[in-house]
Amino acid sequence: MPKLIKNGEIVDNTYVWQQDVDASASDTTIVPMQKWLDNQDSIGNVAGIWIDAGEGVEPLAGVDLSQFEVIGINFPSFMDGRGFSYARLLRERLNYTGEIRALGSFMADQQGYLIRCGFNSFEFAEDVNLDIALTLNKPFNVAYQGDVADPRPIFLRRG
Amino acid sequence: MVDLAYLRIYTTTVQSFMYQYDAIDQQLVEERVAQFRDQTRRYLNNELKEEEFLPLRLQNGLYIQRYAPMLRIAIPYGMVSSKQLRLLADITRRYDRGYGHFSTRQNLQLNWPKLEDVPDILEELATVEMHAVQTSGNCIRNTTTDQYSGVIADEVADPRPYCELIRQWSTFHPEFAFLPRKFKIAVCATESADRAAVQVHDIGLQLKKNDAGEVGFKVLVGGGLGRTPMIAETISDFIPRTDLLTYLDAIIRVYNQQGRRDNKYKARIKILVKALGIDEFRKRVDAEWEHLRGTESTVPMSEFDRLASFFTEPAYETLEEQPSILTEKLADSSAFARWYERNTFDHKKAGYRIVTLSLKKPGQAPGDATADQMEKAANLADQYSFGELRVSHEQNLVLADVRQDQLVELWEAAKENGFATPTLGLLTDMICCPGGDYCGLANAKSIPIAEQIQETFDNLDYLYDIGEVDLNISGCMNACGHHHVGNIGILGVDKKGAEFYQVSLGGASGHDASIGKILGPSFAQEEVGGVIQKVINVYVDNRTEEERFIDTFRRIGIKPFKEAAYAKAN
Ligand code: HEM
Ligand code: SF4
Repeated sequence: MPKLIKNGEIVDNTYVWQQDVDASASDTTIVPMQKWLDNQDSIGNVAGIWIDAGEGVEPLAGVDLSQFEVIGINFPSFMDGRGFSYARLLRERLNYTGEIRALGSFMADQQGYLIRCGFNSFEFAEDVNLDIALTLNKPFNVAYQGDVADPRPIFLRRG
Repeated sequence: MVDLAYLRIYTTTVQSFMYQYDAIDQQLVEERVAQFRDQTRRYLNNELKEEEFLPLRLQNGLYIQRYAPMLRIAIPYGMVSSKQLRLLADITRRYDRGYGHFSTRQNLQLNWPKLEDVPDILEELATVEMHAVQTSGNCIRNTTTDQYSGVIADEVADPRPYCELIRQWSTFHPEFAFLPRKFKIAVCATESADRAAVQVHDIGLQLKKNDAGEVGFKVLVGGGLGRTPMIAETISDFIPRTDLLTYLDAIIRVYNQQGRRDNKYKARIKILVKALGIDEFRKRVDAEWEHLRGTESTVPMSEFDRLASFFTEPAYETLEEQPSILTEKLADSSAFARWYERNTFDHKKAGYRIVTLSLKKPGQAPGDATADQMEKAANLADQYSFGELRVSHEQNLVLADVRQDQLVELWEAAKENGFATPTLGLLTDMICCPGGDYCGLANAKSIPIAEQIQETFDNLDYLYDIGEVDLNISGCMNACGHHHVGNIGILGVDKKGAEFYQVSLGGASGHDASIGKILGPSFAQEEVGGVIQKVINVYVDNRTEEERFIDTFRRIGIKPFKEAAYAKAN
């Protein structure tokens, strides 16, 4: 079974990131957001949905997100930082508390920022050594800004 | 690893009038050094791919350039202590070739460091509360401001506490490290002049008070140079200072999601603002701000007080304005009088003056300083200006608090060290990018053009007669030398493999910012000095008594200049 990093541990990846819109959905698939939105009534149980860069989270306003085990966010390139905002909006505006999974071309060195924006799982490309990646997930032990874990900026936390 | 014991000489404490790190600030820069050391190690071990290391090193100010890496060290809002400057000098000696380049965005660039040495350089910088964080890359860059902050009479408030607030908020901002493109913020606190060029920044902040006397900012957005130069538009007339960070978050969150990413030449926020129109852009920002306003990132008054407490006034003495030792020298020595007129500026405190140490000595690349010069400047700061200096957008150094009765002494010392070129604001006080001598993106060299102009206009009387002219040079359309906003702009272009130069006129970067108009077809390198001479002749022939170059240009338009520049020799 393929592995991923979740909540700071290397675990089995029990879901399938489904990129093909025509593939059939099941309760272990993470399906494209738009496909789910278009077929909510017929699609049945899915593990979750994934958002592509450019789609944004606005289409999810009004959707009960607690029905998803996981929401994936795709990084078409590690230079494309839109997903950082999407995760924050999912957590801070849409109050989603389930798993947010990084998909696609993100880098291990971005985990620190990704976690602060609300990601808690990372489906790396196959050639990434997960043991090494795991050591890179907390480059800083202090931060100036508030984030999803602690909304207080430094000026509310300095002694 | 560096031997930190060696560095102890730099850590003697003097009284400081700058922001000082506490344990948290220090821990952050140290963790950054450790992170970058590991990233560099993995890259050199082939564990990180070239294209993966690229954004990581850029976020640490490290470019790989034409001949060597280039490291850009942050000098936050231009403030540097003598202690820091001494270490910078020493770093250029031990890791580089004994000189550095002060850039238009108040940073210091090293041109020849070795990649393997960069973690050590950063470790040394951290010992004096310095770093290279976010001096490059598609993130929020070093925030810049007026080099005269805190010492001029007419500022609304000292902008530096706000710059420090922005520095902390933007440093390792988790959401905004991979924006569509780089993002630059500048702050101006005076109505009379804008020395921070806020209108050509992604966000420009104009400190102001509203009718109720509350401190806040007029917020400009969407300015920028580069390929598509644009003057910023006003997105809000007044944002209270407590709301500054939530408002900035709102603007950049909209940009992060909606800015173009398909074409890097269309990725700056200015393109988004232009495409949507300022009204629609404002609407989207306001919609986002609705959610953010009033949240924890609202800045409490206690934080403004804390930040302001670092930028205290030094122990000024009660001194006489225009003491006789000064007025006598002014009467005696026209050379001194010239320097005084050009290179010093009114101070808010009687008996003091602001002094610019010019880095525009003929024969020296504009903005370059040798290690010896940096040490000398540090000594002068200790001796004459409470141990503190500023770096200006025009690529000079500034001593902000000099006693008027010590100006003569300081002038002598400045002359000895090549700092007294009395041309501040004049034609030869040029802004110039590194160009083809250093930069891999250049179409043409820029430093030899600066030299040519210095040679063409080497007569000081003549330069004074010409008066104030901003001349800016960039080696390619990326516009690092701000050529678009020079009264005279010179741009290096590639013409069938040869280096040519396009001239534009009428740009300005202050409160009356404008983008220059192209004069016509480009010129060969050896023609440039002569062309600038013809342009200046047209001005001199047409000016009224009180007109500066830019005023005459605005009155008579480009046509007479064009005719003179392209007239056939007979
Ligand atoms: C030698 C290495 C350098 C490289 C590779 C470089 C690269 C670039 C590039 C690609 C741009 C265009 C960005 C855009 O249009 O979005 C740019 C703009 C700029 N650079 Fe540089 N640069 C270098 C040195 C400098 C130096 C030495 C300075 C200061 C003297 C500087 C200051 C600026 C400024 C002020 C801009 C214009 C910002 C704007 O468009 O608003 N750069 N640079
Ligand atoms: S303007 Fe062009 S040539 Fe000059 S430093 Fe910038 S990128 Fe290089």
